Amino acid sequence: MDYSTEVRQRFSAPTRAGEISAGSGELVEGSAADTSLAVWVRFQVQIQSGTIRQARFRAFGCPHTLAAADRVVALMEGRPLDDLRTIDWQLLARQLELPREKFGKLLRIEDALAACHAQAKRLQVS
Amino acid sequence: MTSAPIYLDYAATSPVDPRVVKAMAACMTRDGVFANPASPHSAGNQARRVVEHARAQIGALVHAAPERLVFTSGATEANNLALRGMLSGGGQLVTTRIEHRSVLDPAEALAARGVELCLLDCDREGIVAPEKIAAAISPRTRLVSVMQVNNEIGSVQDIAAIARVCREAGVPLHVDAAQGAGKVALDIEGWGIDLCSLTAHKLNGPKGIGALYVRPGMALEPLISGGEAQLGVRAGTLPTHQIAGFGQAFELAAGPGEAQALQALRERLWGRLGRIPGARRNGSPERSAPHILNVSFPGVEGESLRLALEDLAVSSGSACTSRSAEPSHVLRSLGLSDILAESSLRFGVGRFTTEGEVDSAADRVMTEVTRLRQVSEGAPAWCSS
Repeated sequence: MDYSTEVRQRFSAPTRAGEISAGSGELVEGSAADTSLAVWVRFQVQIQSGTIRQARFRAFGCPHTLAAADRVVALMEGRPLDDLRTIDWQLLARQLELPREKFGKLLRIEDALAACHAQAKRLQVS
Repeated sequence: MTSAPIYLDYAATSPVDPRVVKAMAACMTRDGVFANPASPHSAGNQARRVVEHARAQIGALVHAAPERLVFTSGATEANNLALRGMLSGGGQLVTTRIEHRSVLDPAEALAARGVELCLLDCDREGIVAPEKIAAAISPRTRLVSVMQVNNEIGSVQDIAAIARVCREAGVPLHVDAAQGAGKVALDIEGWGIDLCSLTAHKLNGPKGIGALYVRPGMALEPLISGGEAQLGVRAGTLPTHQIAGFGQAFELAAGPGEAQALQALRERLWGRLGRIPGARRNGSPERSAPHILNVSFPGVEGESLRLALEDLAVSSGSACTSRSAEPSHVLRSLGLSDILAESSLRFGVGRFTTEGEVDSAADRVMTEVTRLRQVSEGAPAWCSS
């Protein structure tokens, strides 16, 4: 399997793996899994005044999954909550040079983000 | 400049010993023994003597009459010759689910042509009971084929007992000894093995050369024809240099203390890897070849583990299947889940492995397993089972 430079970097040294320590703002979480793809992703997002202040992830999966989750989290910080639903996944796949057979794993990442967004809406933190 | 990876994949292949290279080099150039060993002139006779010497070196290690060795391109061809050669007329093949693909693939091809295939399960340590083989043999059985040492988990079958069972039933036994020869005791003629596959490159010999031992009286259909054939079953000019290397490699492997040294290295490795929480050793601790260690690391995804450890030359399963996405058929046969099978690594130590390499490798594995488990902290239980 070939990996792009960015996938290798984010896989070997993810910048936002972990959990958010207590701070101001509301915390929401969302996760998704697919046993057939051997992938599990959980996002934790801290929202303040409708803006994502911090985000972190945990993931079990292949290097592409870990790298994509790390990149998505980095993209989200400082952006409005509703941007969780507007990520261009095809662009992300191209930027990370994801092979087509890994696209299903991206869908699980999208599901986990959607779960975060839904929880935020339920809690009316936006 | 990048440093060479730590090489712990000796069960896949091994570097050629410089003493083997020397024996081979003497058979290649104009001033060496390069002639065709089948040629009747003096240069040919000289080459034939080199081949005969190598036959004797090989036969001595595995207790086989040198003249009963048919040289092949390796154990894969030898396995194909044994199975296809014996079953071209139909009948039943009894073998196990944990054989190498070079047995299972021709077995499946034969089954597609009408051969009855009986695949036996092993126990959770990768051992097949001789009684199970006895029970599977029927009047239709034309051949029993069992590997001596499993290439992924190192489990050692009781070939002497299996040979007894086959002899009592009057059924020929083929043994794939690619991983076993030179690592564990192998007495081809003493145990009554009828066909036995050997290879040079697992024992610091060259790739591209192997042999099939053929007991007198065995009738094999040739795979390759075209001129004079060894024992009537394999045509082609004998590669003197490869055979000289094969012989030298087997003679060196017969040296004292090598198996004990390999076992000590392997146990040193397990002594460290076993400290990683949840690390699970696959195969039989009591009945295992000295050079193979297979370990699962629950909670770590297989592809991520392989990339994280790409500076270590280890296998994630059989060398022949480690680039495929399919989990190992051997580990599945032991009852491991696909996720756990994927999270497994096979380490193979060899003649040139050092204690320092073993320690460094164990440290690298511990570091990366710990790191990847931190990234997946809180993952559901199925990720670890």
